[in-house]
Amino acid sequence: MQKTVRILNEEGFHARPAGVFVKKASEFSSAIEVQANGTTKNGKSIMALMSLGLAKDAEITITAKGADEAAAVDALVDLVNRKFQA
Amino acid sequence: MKGTLVALDQVPDEAFAGKVLGDGIAIDPSEGVVVSPVDADVAQVFRTHHAIGLVTASGFEILIHVGIDTVKMNGEGFRSFVKAGDKVKVGDKLLEFDLALVKAKAKSAISPMVVTNMDLVKSVENRAQGAVTLGQEILRVKKKD
Repeated sequence: MQKTVRILNEEGFHARPAGVFVKKASEFSSAIEVQANGTTKNGKSIMALMSLGLAKDAEITITAKGADEAAAVDALVDLVNRKFQA
Repeated sequence: MKGTLVALDQVPDEAFAGKVLGDGIAIDPSEGVVVSPVDADVAQVFRTHHAIGLVTASGFEILIHVGIDTVKMNGEGFRSFVKAGDKVKVGDKLLEFDLALVKAKAKSAISPMVVTNMDLVKSVENRAQGAVTLGQEILRVKKKD
């Protein structure tokens, strides 16, 4: 299960968004990856996600593999679309 | 960082105060200099130079974030002395910043330092209170067996 989404919040995929994203991702048992700019990072690692250094309007592809992959991708896409408001 | 220790739950930012980014401590700085608290590899320096990620040999990922809402300063007043991939020792200078500018432009100068991969952490113990200076032990993090 995979979806691509655009970063909408002004500060980009930064410390706070990464923390909120990982918290949500960790609610799911599926393995979660985030791809951007040709690199793939662990979607459950705050440091890995921040190292992508993504600014507003960057596109990311969220991939989940596992029993709850559809719910995980939908929840994470929704979180990005809501500008990481938990 | 030289300044006064602040408990993480007193940091004026929900994500840090709620430990969403990990457990640790914060410093209300009295000088605009950040030196490395550990021997580590630099995992990343944010493009706006207001935060830095370190990874220790034991695998702890440490985020040092200068001020709150400083991302909006877009790098103004910040200067970094290291880059991703560098190896640093305790006491090496990582960042310098214009403290007066941060106080004027950001929500707060209070600077959290957290371990972001808490799955490795057994305990986080405060080792100091009040005013602290460079080179002083402020936090002891123990790894799970």
